[in-house]
Amino acid sequence: MSMFLSLFKKELATCFLSPIAFVVLFFFWVLTGLNFWWLLVQLADGESLTIATQQIFGGLICFSLLVVVPLITMRLFSEERKLGTLESLLTTPLTAAELVLAKFFGSLVFFLVLWFPVVAYAMIQKSLSPVELHQFPDFGAMRAGVFGVMLVGGFYISIGLFMSTLTSNQIVAAISSFAILCILFFSGLFMAYLAPNPTLRVFGQYVSSYTHLLDYSRGIVDGRSVVIYISYTLWFLFASMKVIESKRT
Amino acid sequence: MIKVEGVTKKYPARLAVDHISFEVARGEIVGFLGPNGAGKTTTMRMLTGYLPMNSGKIEVAGYDVATQAQEVRRRVGYLPESCPLYPEMRVDEYLRFRAELKGVKSSVRKAKINEVKEQCGLTDVGRRIIGQLSKGYRQRVGLADSLVHDPDLLILDEPTVGLDPYQIRQVRELIKQLSEKHTILLCTHILPEVEAICERILIINEGKIVAADTEANLHKRLHASSVIEMEVKADKVAAITAIGGMEGVDLRSNNILADGWIWLELEADTPDMREELFNLAVTKGWALRELTEQEYSLEDTFVHITRNREGV
Repeated sequence: MSMFLSLFKKELATCFLSPIAFVVLFFFWVLTGLNFWWLLVQLADGESLTIATQQIFGGLICFSLLVVVPLITMRLFSEERKLGTLESLLTTPLTAAELVLAKFFGSLVFFLVLWFPVVAYAMIQKSLSPVELHQFPDFGAMRAGVFGVMLVGGFYISIGLFMSTLTSNQIVAAISSFAILCILFFSGLFMAYLAPNPTLRVFGQYVSSYTHLLDYSRGIVDGRSVVIYISYTLWFLFASMKVIESKRT
Repeated sequence: MIKVEGVTKKYPARLAVDHISFEVARGEIVGFLGPNGAGKTTTMRMLTGYLPMNSGKIEVAGYDVATQAQEVRRRVGYLPESCPLYPEMRVDEYLRFRAELKGVKSSVRKAKINEVKEQCGLTDVGRRIIGQLSKGYRQRVGLADSLVHDPDLLILDEPTVGLDPYQIRQVRELIKQLSEKHTILLCTHILPEVEAICERILIINEGKIVAADTEANLHKRLHASSVIEMEVKADKVAAITAIGGMEGVDLRSNNILADGWIWLELEADTPDMREELFNLAVTKGWALRELTEQEYSLEDTFVHITRNREGV
């Protein structure tokens, strides 16, 4: 456990030492800032409040996850393999499970830091709002939104982490995870909204991250989607462990 | 300390290590030599449990590498060949991180880190970022890392690569000091290093152990005959017939030097013939100003063993 903690701390520190992380932070924060500004403009035009939290966590912003997550995860194992430090890590008493989990949670925490200003905007908004807007944001919906972003983010991170165990080239890791995330995301999206067959459309609603994020940020937490995300995440983490273990005794 | 029995490692395209067996006793300092691609690094990686083997058995400090890998890793300090480090970390951070990973207790961690920093000459660079250190310092950080958990066995893969001559000497001194407390397996291409430090030598070639002995014994085994150079002041023909006529002597070359002395090189079956040659010169009344037995370097032995093998 203490090994897990020291590795976790190191992973998190490395996230904040890498220039990529700051570029990601900068652009993501610009994007969320614009998103929030646009939301305020809509509200000022008399748009209904129901769209408000939805637009904070769901909507256009979730497209950016397809790029952001691969940029966070491409480094995880690819860099260790390139530097040769995977060899020195695996010749310590550390287990593959500790290694994979420490990297996963390190990235997940960094990912949540990305969302920090979004929550802060909402707080500021609340304290400055005129009375009629006072029920925005709805904190129940906010909590569900953060929870949903964490679930979807964790799932995406586990895919990116898995891809980075397979190659020592960061670019290859990033592009392949981006491709997989795109396939998952857009096939779900198109099925949910554009499929001609109504059964397929219902199926699409069950698997599409886009609709899930919209639901969560409306405060609707569907147990089925929670189970899907957690089990997929665990599956990818397990597969990553096996890849790492296959490289040692 | 190390017990390797019939270990084989196959890579998809080739056999890297072919049924090797050897032992290293506690407290020994053993040089592990071999040409590039002979299977040195593969063997070391199997010893540390990083690579699985296809067959055979390795025991380190009494633990089976395949089934008790955790215990083995706790007791082995390994410096990989390329000395991998995190360039963005500071020296102190890195050593603390590694000490934590290797399970060094928090009560002794700080003292232990200071100790290895002092041993490896890193006291002044603790706050520096590893990526900005010179190759020599990085190598020392790697060495400090391999020592930080006080391992029973140290496996060093080319520890002096990239160091300047002064640093090489320092690292050698350090390894010698360490050999008092640790068993050391030193893998290197630099033969004088092995001559200077190691008690025993293992030579691996094409995946097979081709020699395992002390340096002196290896020489003896390989060079039953000796080559002697001498310079005498004598009539050339008389000298050549007298010496060429001695039993078991093969005169290889001769030359008249500018100052009229005669230089001779001869090969003798017996280990050392210098006394007989001296007596011959005395009875013949020659003046003698050089009588040298050629020393074989480890390099000669190494080339001899590994080339012979290739010829088979």
